[in-house]
Amino acid sequence: MIIQESMTIEQKLSILSDAAKYDVACTSSGVGRDGKDGSIGNTVASGICHAFSADGRCISLLKILFTNECIYDCKYCINRASNDVPRTTFTPEEVCSLTMEFYRRNYIEGLFLSSGIIKTPNYTMELIGRTLKMLRTEYHFNGYIHCKAIPGADAELIETIGWFADRMSVNLELPTAEGLKLLAPHKNRKNILNPIRQIQAGIEESRENFGMMGGNKGAYWHTRRKLDQKSIAQKREEDALLHIGHKDQIRRVIESKPEKSVGFSNRILTGWEDEKESKILTPNHRIYQSSQGISSNIETPTLITKPEGLSMWNQFGGNRGFVPAGQSTQMIIGATGETDYEIVHVTEALYQKFDLKRVFFSAFIRVNEDNALPVLSGGPPLLREHRLYQADWLLRYYGFEATELLTKERPNFNVFFDPKCNWAIGHLEQFPVEVNTADYYTLLRVPGIGPKSAGRIVKARQMAKLRFEDLKKIGVVLKRALYFITCSGKMMYPTKIEENYITNQMLQINEKLPSHITNGGITYQQLSLFDNPQMLSNG
Amino acid sequence: MKEKRIYQCEDSLEGIFSAVYIAWASRYGHDNIELEVLGMEEEYNLRLFSEYIMVESNPENASKVANSIKKKISAHAYQMVAKAALSNDKRKANAIYHFLVRGFAYGAKVEDHLSDPYVQIIFELNRNVGNDAHLYTGFVRFTELDNGILFAKIEPKNNVLEIITPHFADRLSKENFMILDVKRKIATIHRSYSTWILTTISDEELNTLLTVTEKKEKYEKLWKTFFESIAIKERENKVCQRNHVAMHYRKYMTEFMEDKEDKVDKEDKVDKEDKEDRVDKEDRVVKEDKVVIEVKIENEGK
Repeated sequence: MIIQESMTIEQKLSILSDAAKYDVACTSSGVGRDGKDGSIGNTVASGICHAFSADGRCISLLKILFTNECIYDCKYCINRASNDVPRTTFTPEEVCSLTMEFYRRNYIEGLFLSSGIIKTPNYTMELIGRTLKMLRTEYHFNGYIHCKAIPGADAELIETIGWFADRMSVNLELPTAEGLKLLAPHKNRKNILNPIRQIQAGIEESRENFGMMGGNKGAYWHTRRKLDQKSIAQKREEDALLHIGHKDQIRRVIESKPEKSVGFSNRILTGWEDEKESKILTPNHRIYQSSQGISSNIETPTLITKPEGLSMWNQFGGNRGFVPAGQSTQMIIGATGETDYEIVHVTEALYQKFDLKRVFFSAFIRVNEDNALPVLSGGPPLLREHRLYQADWLLRYYGFEATELLTKERPNFNVFFDPKCNWAIGHLEQFPVEVNTADYYTLLRVPGIGPKSAGRIVKARQMAKLRFEDLKKIGVVLKRALYFITCSGKMMYPTKIEENYITNQMLQINEKLPSHITNGGITYQQLSLFDNPQMLSNG
Repeated sequence: MKEKRIYQCEDSLEGIFSAVYIAWASRYGHDNIELEVLGMEEEYNLRLFSEYIMVESNPENASKVANSIKKKISAHAYQMVAKAALSNDKRKANAIYHFLVRGFAYGAKVEDHLSDPYVQIIFELNRNVGNDAHLYTGFVRFTELDNGILFAKIEPKNNVLEIITPHFADRLSKENFMILDVKRKIATIHRSYSTWILTTISDEELNTLLTVTEKKEKYEKLWKTFFESIAIKERENKVCQRNHVAMHYRKYMTEFMEDKEDKVDKEDKVDKEDKEDRVDKEDRVVKEDKVVIEVKIENEGK
C-alpha cells in the first residue's frame, strides 16, 4: 500500500474523485427546499445537471470518496485492499471548503460522499458523520447532500447521517446474494439490507411527522397507487379529472377508496410470499417472511432485524426531516451471471419492499485482473445497462410489472427492440388503440407514446379530435406508434397488424439509442437479422 | 381580400402587449392581422399588399392586456405568454396575438388545445425557453472577484436572464453577485440579503466588465482537476457529451475554457468539435434558406 503524506488538496481531489467515479447516481433530485437566511444553498426537486464529463455522464454533485483506503477486498473494486494504488484521506475541513467554494461558483448542486472502509465501518461512518455535521452546522450549507451508508455500521451512526443528508444510498453491489459471496467475500446481504430497511423506516416516520416535506414517495409508488385495485372505468374517471388539472378532486377520489394493508409494520414484514418470485430469488434472498410465516422462520440467520424508530428527534427534528430525498441503491451488471429476468425482479422487489426512489445499474468495467471476474469482449455491457434502465422506467412510470417484460423462457432483453416495443409486438391482440378514446394507461402502452405525450393527448382531445399531424406536434414518435394506433378509426398508412410484418418494419427504423451506446464500438448496428441467433430466439 | 395589417413592436413583453392592444382595438379582423417584433429578421423584406403599422410601447395598454389575460384566461396562460416573449423565435409576437385571440374565446382550456397551430407554437416556445433556462441554472459559472463579488457571463439564445436570477438570489442570498448577458448587454445584480435588479449595460461598462475577470483562481483549477478525473475512460464519449452540453453553452464554462499552458495539445480536438458544430449549424441554415425560397416561389405563383 502506498501511503503518501502531505499531499496537496489538488492531489487528494484527483485521487478521491477518480476513485469515486464508478459510483452511479449523480442525481440531485427528490427534494425542493428554499434558501434560508444565514446559510447558503437550496435544492430543486427536479435536480440540476451542472456539467457533463467526457464520458457524457452528468455531473451534478461533487462526487468524492472520503478515503480510498479500504479493509475490504471486493474483487471488482479499484480500491480493494490488495490493489497497489496511492491512498489518501480528506479531512472534514477539506471536504467542507471544497463543497462550499464549488457551490458558490455554481459548479455543483451539492456533495456526494462515499468512502472506502478505514479501520472499521463504525470508524468510517463516524468520520463521515462528523464531516456532514460540520458542513451543515458550521459552514451552514443548505444544498443537496447524498451520502452512502456503510453496511455494518451501527444504526445510531446511520441515523445521524440521515438527519444531515438529503438522500442516502446503500450499494447492493450485485443483484444476488451468491454474486456477492463470490465477488465481495467480506460483505453479506444481511448487512446491506439492514441499513436499507432502517432508512426506509426512518423516512416513513419522518413523513408521518413532517408530511411530504419529510420525504416524498418515489415514482414507482405513485404509479402503483394510481393503478392499484381499480377497474379501467374507475381509472378513466380519475384520469379525466387528473388531466384537466383537478388535483384536489382526484386526491379525494383516491383517498375515499379504502386502502389495503397500509399499516407500516405489516407492509415491511410481508414480501417474497409469492411462490413465483421466491423461486427466482435465492434462499438468502428470502429475508422477509410473510406475516404468517414469521414464527416458523424466525431462526433464519438472514432475518432482518426490525428497525428501531428514529431516536434523535430532539436533536435534529424540525430541521430538514430524515433523508427527505429518499434512498437509492446501485448494482453492477454483467460481473456475475444473473439474467435480466432476475435483475428486473430484484429491482421491482426493491421498489415494492423498500420504497426506493431509484435503482441504478452500472455496466461492469474490468478494472482488476482477477480470475473470478468475467472478461467481456465488447467492453462494458452498455446496451444491456440501457435496456435495464428502459425496463426500470417501465416499472416506475408506465405501470408495467416485471413478469410482463420477461419470462423464465425468455430471460433476457431483446438487443434489437426496447422492452416496450418488444412487449407490444408480443401483444398485438391489444392493438390498435384509438387515440381519441383510449384511456391514459392504454395509451401509455403504445410504443412511441410516453407519460408526457399520453397526458397531452388526454387533454388535447377534449378540445378537438386529434389527427396524426397533431400527434406529431404533441410529441408522439409516429414512426413507432403508427403500427399500434388509429385516429378516428383510421390507421396512418395501410398496415398489417401482424408480428412478422411489424417486426420487419420496426427493424428498418434504427432505434435512436443514446449516444453513449452507439459510440463505444458496440456492434449493435451492424448485426443483421440472420447472423444473430438471439434475435430469432428472443424476438 | 382585405389587405394584411402588420403591427410591428419592440422586442419585449411590454412591446408585444402594446401591439396586441392596438391590433385588437382596430377591429380589423383577427385573420387579417399579423404581429412582428422589430429587429429579429436578419434581412428584411417588406411584403406586398400589406400595411405596416409601428406600435410604440405603452405601459398602460400593456398592463391592461396583462390583467385581462390573468383574469379572463388564467395566471398560467399569462406565464406561458410571458415566457414565450423571451424566446429568440421571430414567430413569437404573432403566435402570442393569435393564442390570446383563442384564449379569450376558450378561457383557461386554451392551453390544452394542442391541435391548434398557434397554441402549438406557444407551447413549443415555452418548452424551449423553459429548457434553456433550466440548463442555465446549471451552466452559469461564477468567478470570484478580488472584492468577493461573484460574477458570471452568459450568452443565451433565449433571453433567460430574468428567469434564472430568482433561483440564484434564493440560493446565494448572502452573496453579492452579478450575471451579465454579454450579447444583450443586460445584467442582473444581487446584493447580499437584499433584492436583485435588472439593468442595461453601456458599451463602456461592458468593456470594463469583460477585462476585469482575467484572473486565475485556485478553485477553478481544482474544478478542472475534478472534471477530468471524474470521467470514466472506458466509457469516453464526446458525442454524448456534446448532446448534453452543446458548444454554444460552453463559452463561459470554466471546465471548457482553455488554460494558456495546455492550450496547444487541446487545440486540435476543440477545433474538430467546433467544426462539427458549425457544420450542423450550416446544415440548418441551408434548410431554412430552402424553405424561404420555396415560400417565395409560391408567393410569386399567386
